[in-house]
Amino acid sequence: MSAVTRRTDVPRVQVPSASPARPARGPARHRGLRVVRWSFLTVLGLYFLVPQLAMARFAFQNVPVVLLNASTLFSKWSVSSLVDALSQAALWDAAKTSAMLAVLSVVLDLALLLPLAIIAEIRAPRLRPVLSALTLLPWVIPPIALVVGVAATFRSVAPGFLTSTLSLVPFYAIWAMPFTYRALDSGLRAINARTLVEAARSLGASELTVLFRVIVPNLSASIVAASGLTAALVLGEFAFASLLLKNTLPTYLVNYQRDSPQAGMALALAVMVLTALALGAVVHMLRRRGLGMSTTGF
Amino acid sequence: MATIEMIGVRKTFGTTVALADLHLQVESGEMVCLLGPSGCGKTTALRLLAGFEQPDAGQILVDGEDVTHVSPRHRGFGMVFQDYSLFPNLTGRQNIAFGLKVRRKGALETAETVDRLLAVTRLEKHADKYPHQMSGGQRQRVALARAIATEPRLLLLDEPLSALDAQVREHLRDEIRRLQQEVGVTTVFVTHDQHEAMAVADRVAVMRDGVLEQIDPPRVLYSRPASQFVAGFVGTVNRLSAERAVDGAWFVLGARVEAVGDTVAVPDAVPVVGEGATADSVPKHAVVRPEQLHVNRAESGAGPVARLVALSFLGAFTRAVIEHPTEGLVTADVLGEAADGLAVGDAVAVSVRPGAGAVVLQ
Ligand SMILES: Nc1ncnc2c1ncn2[C@@H]1O[C@H](COP(=O)(O)OP(=O)(O)OP(=O)(O)O)[C@@H](O)[C@H]1O
Ligand SMILES: [Mg+2]
Repeated sequence: MSAVTRRTDVPRVQVPSASPARPARGPARHRGLRVVRWSFLTVLGLYFLVPQLAMARFAFQNVPVVLLNASTLFSKWSVSSLVDALSQAALWDAAKTSAMLAVLSVVLDLALLLPLAIIAEIRAPRLRPVLSALTLLPWVIPPIALVVGVAATFRSVAPGFLTSTLSLVPFYAIWAMPFTYRALDSGLRAINARTLVEAARSLGASELTVLFRVIVPNLSASIVAASGLTAALVLGEFAFASLLLKNTLPTYLVNYQRDSPQAGMALALAVMVLTALALGAVVHMLRRRGLGMSTTGF
Repeated sequence: MATIEMIGVRKTFGTTVALADLHLQVESGEMVCLLGPSGCGKTTALRLLAGFEQPDAGQILVDGEDVTHVSPRHRGFGMVFQDYSLFPNLTGRQNIAFGLKVRRKGALETAETVDRLLAVTRLEKHADKYPHQMSGGQRQRVALARAIATEPRLLLLDEPLSALDAQVREHLRDEIRRLQQEVGVTTVFVTHDQHEAMAVADRVAVMRDGVLEQIDPPRVLYSRPASQFVAGFVGTVNRLSAERAVDGAWFVLGARVEAVGDTVAVPDAVPVVGEGATADSVPKHAVVRPEQLHVNRAESGAGPVARLVALSFLGAFTRAVIEHPTEGLVTADVLGEAADGLAVGDAVAVSVRPGAGAVVLQ
């Protein structure tokens, strides 16, 4: 896990161990390995880059699709499609809704799982496997089953509930549980929460002091990671929102792209780049505080 | 400063009996080391004292007041852990101040106390580093300062030095002792290193399988161990056959020895065979330390003879291993230049120094 924090893009050259029996073969074999490694990385890189490049050309070149070939690679690049997309008021409404959903889901998720994870780690270690299995359930149950089941229940009990956009929050909180729980759980173990708590208690700290002065500050890497992942999940979630007929960023994107494919593509790319930048910023911030991704569980 | 008492304390984990029936008394200002092999219940005893675990039976008294069910938070004890367990998000200074802040001491008083502790633990230069920027020894000194900052009634240390390398360990060991004596805090120090225990403790408590075998000052523990287990745990020992004379005196390797320890376990009603000779048919054994034995070059005569099989120079003395015709391998320490005349392969005579104490066992 800690490998994530290291630079893995440059394959480390291992000094071949001295083997006097076969002095010539060692380095040769090593060179072969390096070639394999680099080709693998190159293929993988292309696999990711080519579609993105194609998307970028489609979105930002004012050239008819049929003419998008090697000879037109540098002609008529423009951001006008993106400007178009960004000038839609409906986009900002949808974005606002999604942002609000993301924040609320993160809050609900943490409020539910932070105490549970702490109790499991410190008071009842036997609960850990149970919780870990329970929090995986949302991934085993498909969204459609969740929506249909829950919708049926709510429609009879509280008919007003499902019409509100906020009705998505509980779904998202449940949906993000596996990420959140794992991040918190491994964070707690990485900081050795149990002895930290004992140290704090023997120094006279109350339960609340232990929680807010000891656990939460040291768990910040995990909490940020968990929140980031939950937010990313919510910002990109389509199935629930679409099934419950809500206007969130993803549903807006899909609808918008149907009407104006080029601007839609530009918008999708912009969202992708923004997300990548945001993730990078979070990792950078954590690292500056001396917290590797290893303490986040990913 | 306080007197600590554990009375008949029992603790089980499932079917494992960690502490069977522990009685332990620590005097005010005293430093007691809990010593014993792995799994004998040292950590469990300490955690019970700290209040992190509840005993199944028994009582824990501080100055006569029952604290068995008082939460760790209200016991007012300081604790130092093997893995330091400093708060990673706080600097050294903030770590030391934690307990004082929690107790809502004034800012001025807190700063004064912290500065004083930083000075006595020689941490001034590292005060504003975070734990991950400190060496192991520095971290453990911060942990120690943090534990005594609140002026605890009892200081508990669970193998505080075992994660450090030999040199730092010895240095910090002496520092802990110095600090403990300066502050005068009652201390329980858990270790499985006999040298550590002997070096710092006022009294050493040797534990075995959840019970206390013996608690005594290091010197007494060494010279008058209560059992073979204790004798073997605090230093090297030889197990030699012992004989009992008519007058009740014990003889080992033909010499009269002063019997200490387990002699009570030997039945008194023994058949008398002859004057100065064996008293009964039950085999007896004495536990004798290497320095209590005397080694001489002997002329190789007829019959089996003791032979020197190994010699190792250890500075102040030379350790000799002798193959004895009736006792098997015997270890003896030869002081200073007396070893010069000896060589591996020599025929030697081994005897017990006059007046040496020995443990006689059934
Ligand atoms: N939480 C626990 N659950 C189950 N068994 C335990 C627990 N804590 C301790 N034990 C058992 O109790 C016994 C005593 O353990 P303890 O940790 O007190 O030993 P120790 O003397 O500190 O050993 P060491 O020198 O290895 O640290 C051991 O057999 C151990 O397996
Ligand atoms: Mg232990």
